[in-house]
Amino acid sequence: MTRPGVKWTTFALWVLFSLLTLLPIWWMFLVSVKSRTDLFGRPSFLLDISRITWDNYATVIANPAFQRYMLNSLIVSTANAALVCALGLLAAYAMSRYRMRGKDNIFFWVLTNRMAPPAAFLLPLYLLYTGVFQVGDWSLFDTRIGLILLYCVLNLPFAFWLLQGIIDGIPAELDEAAYVDGASTWQVLRTIIVPLAGPGIAVTGILTWVFAWNEYLFASTLTSVNARTITTGLAEFVTVTGTNWGQMAAVAMLTLLPAALVLAVVQKHIVAGLTFGAVKG
Amino acid sequence: MSSVTLQAVRKTWGAFEALKSLDLHIPDGEFLVLLGPSGCGKSTTMRIVAGLEEVSSGTLLFDREDVTRVHPRRRNVAMVFQNYALYPHMTVAENIGYPLKVTGVDKAKAREKMLDAARKVDLTDYLSRLPRDLSGGQRQRVALARALVRDPRVFLLDEPLSNLDAKLRVAMRAEIKHLQRSIGVTMIYVTHDQIEAMTLADRIVLMNKGQIQQIGTPDEIYDDPANLFVAGFIGSPPMNVVTGEVADGVFRAPGVTVPGAPGRGPVTLGFRAEDVTLSPTGAFQGTVFEVEPTGESTFLVVEVGGGRAMLRADKKHRPALGSPVAFDVPASQCLFFNPGDGLRLRRTVPHLQQVTA
Repeated sequence: MTRPGVKWTTFALWVLFSLLTLLPIWWMFLVSVKSRTDLFGRPSFLLDISRITWDNYATVIANPAFQRYMLNSLIVSTANAALVCALGLLAAYAMSRYRMRGKDNIFFWVLTNRMAPPAAFLLPLYLLYTGVFQVGDWSLFDTRIGLILLYCVLNLPFAFWLLQGIIDGIPAELDEAAYVDGASTWQVLRTIIVPLAGPGIAVTGILTWVFAWNEYLFASTLTSVNARTITTGLAEFVTVTGTNWGQMAAVAMLTLLPAALVLAVVQKHIVAGLTFGAVKG
Repeated sequence: MSSVTLQAVRKTWGAFEALKSLDLHIPDGEFLVLLGPSGCGKSTTMRIVAGLEEVSSGTLLFDREDVTRVHPRRRNVAMVFQNYALYPHMTVAENIGYPLKVTGVDKAKAREKMLDAARKVDLTDYLSRLPRDLSGGQRQRVALARALVRDPRVFLLDEPLSNLDAKLRVAMRAEIKHLQRSIGVTMIYVTHDQIEAMTLADRIVLMNKGQIQQIGTPDEIYDDPANLFVAGFIGSPPMNVVTGEVADGVFRAPGVTVPGAPGRGPVTLGFRAEDVTLSPTGAFQGTVFEVEPTGESTFLVVEVGGGRAMLRADKKHRPALGSPVAFDVPASQCLFFNPGDGLRLRRTVPHLQQVTA
């Protein structure tokens, strides 16, 4: 039994933590709906929602550069998530089901790829993208495919690790039954593994999508004009003549929105997906 | 339907030898039971027939076709797994129809066959349910229907009744036997339950430590065991054994004298509980250690010949603990084994007369 005092303390703590988390977002929202004059003229604005304006949003949404950044981010994130899920699933399936020498070592090696600090790869990647991976005038630098491939490299170890746990949780007997029933490996994957690992694949897809959506470091280094993503676009509001705080906050809110929406809708499935292997079906 | 032949089939995992050169022929339409304790190699044998394990050496034939290296999907065998291996995300109808779907059978024909298989196992009312909404017995029937839905060359069942409760097990046993007789398919059935093996099999293959101990009809295996392992594994209670010495054709152990024994030196005598006749002048003299009434009869645990033996007596028989007991066993039911390698020692001339003291 829980005493009422404990219950209320817990409740209060959760409210406090929620406020702490939400406060910066609320602040950013207020900045995005204030005019420049209000922002600097009436500094006490934390709870002041009297003079709201949507002009900042209207301006950035109508801005062709912003539209391109948004489109780039959507394409890069979605393609990355799809590619990572497909490749991760195949790798994880092979690792989970086939007997092979040095399996544990391969698994660990793949994971260690994720451990190195990404900044360490920055310069080599820049050189590769601008000087090595090129055909004639075309190079990977400042292309969406360049970003997609790079995010795949960064996300695959994570997807591989997550999906292997999930596929391990699906009894191998089901594959065997399907083989005996006359299915090919491809049919086993399509009709047995994918449907049963569905929640796990969705979680992998969402988390990798969010990663690619939020990524800034590589996007800012390996793109210049054509393939700029929304996160790098944010920085463009900081110029030598000053920072357009209102529009920047509006873009930040718009950047936050898809990720927040996706996570809000699927958060239950994420928990279910992450604990999938723990419970036998 | 096909006959199945295993020729010198070996299976090793590293240094561990799971199957030691197995030779076995299963004629078309036979109900063969692979019986043995855990780890004896019976499931490995079945998985090799299904193609789920590769042989380390040897050949597997279906009729005269060499299928040793053929992928399981191309062998056309049907298998019922111990845990049924039903696809949890598919309905009963989809589960049963799966083999037809993946092999590209025409949809209308597939549906017809699926309904036919479902009818055979009485599942037509459950077609739209998911496996998790079914009872153990119903799941078991779905697995059977999925195997029945096509015309497999061989039917494999891997301990299919072990997850059912005792009552259902008996009912399903009869259904499986009836099914096999009605469709006349070659069936290989793996179990560690000797009662299942005895009731179902045309022939039993009793295995231990990766080797066949004996192949025969249930009666042959029960009445004429090839070695001590078979004698001890088959029968409930298992065969009683008394170890003694044979000299001049007479077996002797403390309180036991049996003439007409083969061999010489240390010999193990075996006899079954139900072959015993209590008689005050019996050739076997012992004392009552414990009394176990079962309702239909009473088992006496008797200390005899330096060990313990189970005797079946009349249901009303209740001797006092520690009291002396004497009994006879017909000579034909006294089996002799070499205690060294456990192999049966056979008499040169059958002795059918009653053993007397």
